Amino acid sequence: MRHARRHKLLAALNVLSVALGVAVFLAIQLGNRSANESFAQSIDLVAGKANLEARSSNAGLDEWLLLKLRAAPGVRAATPLVEGYLTLPDLGPGEYLQVLGLDIFTNAPFATFSVGGQSLADAHNLDLDAWLGEPDALAVTDEFAREHGLKIGDTLRAQVNGRDVRLTVRFLLRLKDTAAGRGNSRLAAMDIGWAQELFGRVGRLSSVQLLLDRPAEADKVASDLQKLVPTDVTVSAPGQRTAQVQRMLGGFELNLGALSLISLLVGMFLIYNTIAASVVRRRVETGILRALGATRLEVQCLFLGEALLFGAVGVVAGIFGGTLLARYLLGREIARVISSLYTLVNVDRLALSPLLVGAAFFFGLGSVLTAAWLPAREGARVDPVAALSLGLGATRASSRRASPRWLALGALALVLAAICSVVALRTGPAWLSFGAAFFVLLGFAFFAPFVTTAGAKLAENLTQRHGGAEGEKFSKCANFFAPFFSSAPLRLCVRFLLQLAAQNLARSLHRTAVIVAALMAAIAMTVSISTMIFSFRHTVEVWIERAIVADLFLAPRANETLGNGAFFPAEILRELRADPDVAALDTVREIGVTVRGDRVSMVAVEGTNRNRLAFVGGHDREKQAAFYHADTVLISEPFARRYHVWDGDTIPLSTPRGIVDFTVGGVYYDYTRDSGIIVMDRSNFDHYWNDPRVMSVALYLKDPTQLDRVAADLRARFNQKGEFLIYSNRALRTRVFEIFSQTFRITGVLRGIAVVVAVIGIFLTLTTLVAEREREIGVLRALGASRGQIAGLVLGESALIGLISSALGVAAGLTLSVVLTLVINQAFFGWSIQLVFPWATLLVTPLWIVLAALGAGVLPARRAARVPIAAAVRAE
Amino acid sequence: MLLWRWLMVAVCVVAAVDGQCDPLHADSTASPAAPLAPPAQWQQALPGWHYTFPADHAAHRDFKTEWWYFTGQVKAPTTGRSYGFELTFFRQGVHPMMPVTSAAATSLAAEDAPPTHSRFTQPDFKFAHLAITDLDGRRFYFTQRLSRGAFGEAGFRAQPAPGGTTTAEEPRLAWLEGWELREMDDGAWQLHARSADPPMALDLRVRLRKPLVVHGVPGSGISEKAAGEGNASHYYSFTRLETQGTLAVANQPPAVVQGLSWFDHEWASNALTPEQIGWDWFCVQFDDGTELMLYAMRRRDGGIDPVSSGTLVAADGTATHLRREDFTLASLRSWRSPNTGANYPVEWQVKIPSQQMEFTVRAQLDAQELVLPLITYWEGATTVAGTRAGQPLAGLGYMELTGYRDALTKLTK
Repeated sequence: MRHARRHKLLAALNVLSVALGVAVFLAIQLGNRSANESFAQSIDLVAGKANLEARSSNAGLDEWLLLKLRAAPGVRAATPLVEGYLTLPDLGPGEYLQVLGLDIFTNAPFATFSVGGQSLADAHNLDLDAWLGEPDALAVTDEFAREHGLKIGDTLRAQVNGRDVRLTVRFLLRLKDTAAGRGNSRLAAMDIGWAQELFGRVGRLSSVQLLLDRPAEADKVASDLQKLVPTDVTVSAPGQRTAQVQRMLGGFELNLGALSLISLLVGMFLIYNTIAASVVRRRVETGILRALGATRLEVQCLFLGEALLFGAVGVVAGIFGGTLLARYLLGREIARVISSLYTLVNVDRLALSPLLVGAAFFFGLGSVLTAAWLPAREGARVDPVAALSLGLGATRASSRRASPRWLALGALALVLAAICSVVALRTGPAWLSFGAAFFVLLGFAFFAPFVTTAGAKLAENLTQRHGGAEGEKFSKCANFFAPFFSSAPLRLCVRFLLQLAAQNLARSLHRTAVIVAALMAAIAMTVSISTMIFSFRHTVEVWIERAIVADLFLAPRANETLGNGAFFPAEILRELRADPDVAALDTVREIGVTVRGDRVSMVAVEGTNRNRLAFVGGHDREKQAAFYHADTVLISEPFARRYHVWDGDTIPLSTPRGIVDFTVGGVYYDYTRDSGIIVMDRSNFDHYWNDPRVMSVALYLKDPTQLDRVAADLRARFNQKGEFLIYSNRALRTRVFEIFSQTFRITGVLRGIAVVVAVIGIFLTLTTLVAEREREIGVLRALGASRGQIAGLVLGESALIGLISSALGVAAGLTLSVVLTLVINQAFFGWSIQLVFPWATLLVTPLWIVLAALGAGVLPARRAARVPIAAAVRAE
Repeated sequence: MLLWRWLMVAVCVVAAVDGQCDPLHADSTASPAAPLAPPAQWQQALPGWHYTFPADHAAHRDFKTEWWYFTGQVKAPTTGRSYGFELTFFRQGVHPMMPVTSAAATSLAAEDAPPTHSRFTQPDFKFAHLAITDLDGRRFYFTQRLSRGAFGEAGFRAQPAPGGTTTAEEPRLAWLEGWELREMDDGAWQLHARSADPPMALDLRVRLRKPLVVHGVPGSGISEKAAGEGNASHYYSFTRLETQGTLAVANQPPAVVQGLSWFDHEWASNALTPEQIGWDWFCVQFDDGTELMLYAMRRRDGGIDPVSSGTLVAADGTATHLRREDFTLASLRSWRSPNTGANYPVEWQVKIPSQQMEFTVRAQLDAQELVLPLITYWEGATTVAGTRAGQPLAGLGYMELTGYRDALTKLTK
């Protein structure tokens, strides 16, 4: 405690580094959990208390199935649901409502909410005339009404399937189960009949919810009911959809989780360093304690206790910080990315559970203890006699040589990384690829002592022999900073200074190697993630050239918020087909199909298909032609990798006309969905699915130079109220990259935090080094070194740390980027990414790291310069 | 039988005045955002209605509220046990003039003309009440069924198309998920209802023993419920129906029963006025072959609305209209419902000086309250004893008490 009080800044920074690590870890976990829970709860809320549900792809089910299911043996009650989404442009971008069309007469036993405070079963006060009779009567949640200042009787402008409609807030929906209710304020309800008409789903239901006589026999009843329904309808427990979505999100969330650990890892290096510094600084103290009879264990506990103190404060701060980070930044960002890539989720509420907080706490403290273990043991081994003898030699005792054994360990780790990669790619499991990443970092961390020594030697030699370029650079830096520390004119032997700095660095290997390793990890992460994103972007650029070829793209605006949830109005489609400016028109329809228990997107494409898909294994032209064959589909590469289905294999798909085996005509490169896509020609789709609706349209113009005029014309005709997204080819490409950047924004935040932690690390290290070397500095000053020179010495050391770390970090980063790009991405998402290196970024990285290191060295340098000579040399 | 369903209606009537009840499908292609046409109106019960039968047995879709109401008391000769029963089919209009959504029946197959009308947007919703009083077991059982009839699982016989033939006429007058009122080939009506919870089963055949009686001032064609045009209903009854069949309740085996029933058919569009809070309604089948129907519209101030009236049916079927001033009603005893806290007057003193009639009406069982999701009311079997012109007079009947639960006042706005 006394120690901590004496070094307030050090203590604060230690706490900060632990806090940041824990905060990032917790925030990412919270973001993931919240998104998952929000989805699960919305499913619970929709399904209510149902034991089973019958559901189909988004083409829905025939409403007459309701009667069949209701009458089936084992079924106690059945209620139909029609689900749809509204976007609310007047309430802000991205505002939407998930509307449940309910049959109020049969819904009561299922309901997890009530209308106007009255349960549907006890509709004593419910204005049935309004509920049943008014096509625009909508029930919204209390929370939603409060949030947007809505009262009963207010009208809302909404967009649905490219139409502008007006709805009236007639009822307030109260969610009975507050746990499931919170976070689902975007749920709304209306009568099923009006919902069918509003969403253009007359004759169809989204699902039939079932209560059973004996819920324990749900599996058996489900398989009986399955025989009653068409093949494209699935009867299962509603919770299965949650499981499906969680499987879909698993890879994405695991990757974020792994990234979040890097900050904690960097934090661990710092704790190691701090405790090690403390051990050195308190050698004498420790020696006295030991001499007075304290056991090794007691001493070790003392140091561990110190680490725990930092750790506990840091972890608590991190838990608060992580909650804030999740609430204001990451939580929403994660939900946004999941919504744009996977499925619509909305996080109103953080899934902050005692369990998660407990996990963060123990995880945080655990890593602190692990990091502190070695230095604490070292402290416990202090020889009381040696410690109590005075002199310079004492402090040097713990310095270590770079042992060749570490090099061997590093090499071994890299070999293990390679093995993990191969296994992850060949057979799985996918998470082994994280093992590869871990071993790469570990391997390079083992190289740190050697590289530090070698780097220091190199710097020393360079300055000794001919004051080489590197040496010049440092001397310039030192000179540049010198005036900050001393007003005396500086014309000293820079060479000597740098030699001293390099020697110091090598001498304090126990300290410096660790910070080099920490900084290396942070840099490696920055470099590898930058490389991965750069490669990904490059790959997408190439892909887009072939994928986005039409001149104009139109879709209901709601699809921007909802994913492919809204349909293109048939009458406008007809008009577009007849438009004299339009040479050709493609349409896209997406539905969900079930493949081996997973929900997978299937896209039905109608049209000229001028986009030239690139196929795995080449033969693009033949495979493109095969697309039009009967019962043939194309699949995206992630799909092929995930389900191990390749050219010529068949995929059984449940269609409304039975289960049909579709032949894979080709596997094409695609970067839109990691869960994979099946593409089907519209004629095949029409043959099996009786559903003419489309979701978006691509137009080819007769005269592409008239693009602007035609676009303006379309806007004037169809888009007066902003119902449609109308993108030109170029605008769509830009939009794709916007989404792309958005997707990687979280990664950017994590990367930044890791670097901040690492720079704090340099600061901490230098500060402790200066503290350790007070006597030495005193001797130097006594020998005539100026304050500026001393400052320069520290800065030089700082710059050297930065430079060596950068070198090692870039090397590790390049290796790691191979793992990220070629192993993790492929194992988890099935994407083939062409590895391209952002050389400019890579070259700049050492520069700014060195600058950051110099920045971090400023305060310690100043401190070193102020070391009082007399006090410092008294011991000598 | 009286218009307690009007309470429900009141809410929409107020809304309709504000122009907020939208005309449904006034224009079949219009989205809800399209400009609204002026609201269509429910037809009012106005003087001058000419009853025509059997057409008037069928549903009157232009009116908002309508019901087919059976009550009766039967006895099982083999076991000697007596029962009261109520089986009622209600039609509650959601909006007038809405086309029957037969278009919704077409599937998505019609590719270029997808159906625009949902079958779930029915012009009305249907519900039915079944109640059995086990008079010897002193227990009361009741339940409700509710349906919008989207798939034809609930409905009513429609009025014959003008000039249309009646050959394909629906044999059922009303039906709701298995419960039904069916007209048999021999002219008798068959009532059928069954419930699992509570366990009840009713299979009764009723035969007309006297001609139907139209209530209200003779020749007016309406039964007035409040002052003001349209505040009335069209209302006729079969006052004495010979009843035979089987009845089962709770764990008792189905028993062959026989007895007498009363049937009301009433349709209207208007609700209680703000001054009215409910009503008391009585029907009695006297042992001497005469029947009586009386209703009193209760006012908020405790008084009885002057339009309250009754009908006395002679043994030969001749009906005599009773005006408010022809009778007095005095409550003798009240029963407080443990379920709702409502105080129901379950014993009454009735005097009809002009007929020299004086008698008491007593609930056979106090607890005959139906507590149901849409409404709570008291409807139960009664015994009647008194004198007519000094001669002893006895009979069995049914009584309906509404507006005794606080919620009713809320509904009347």
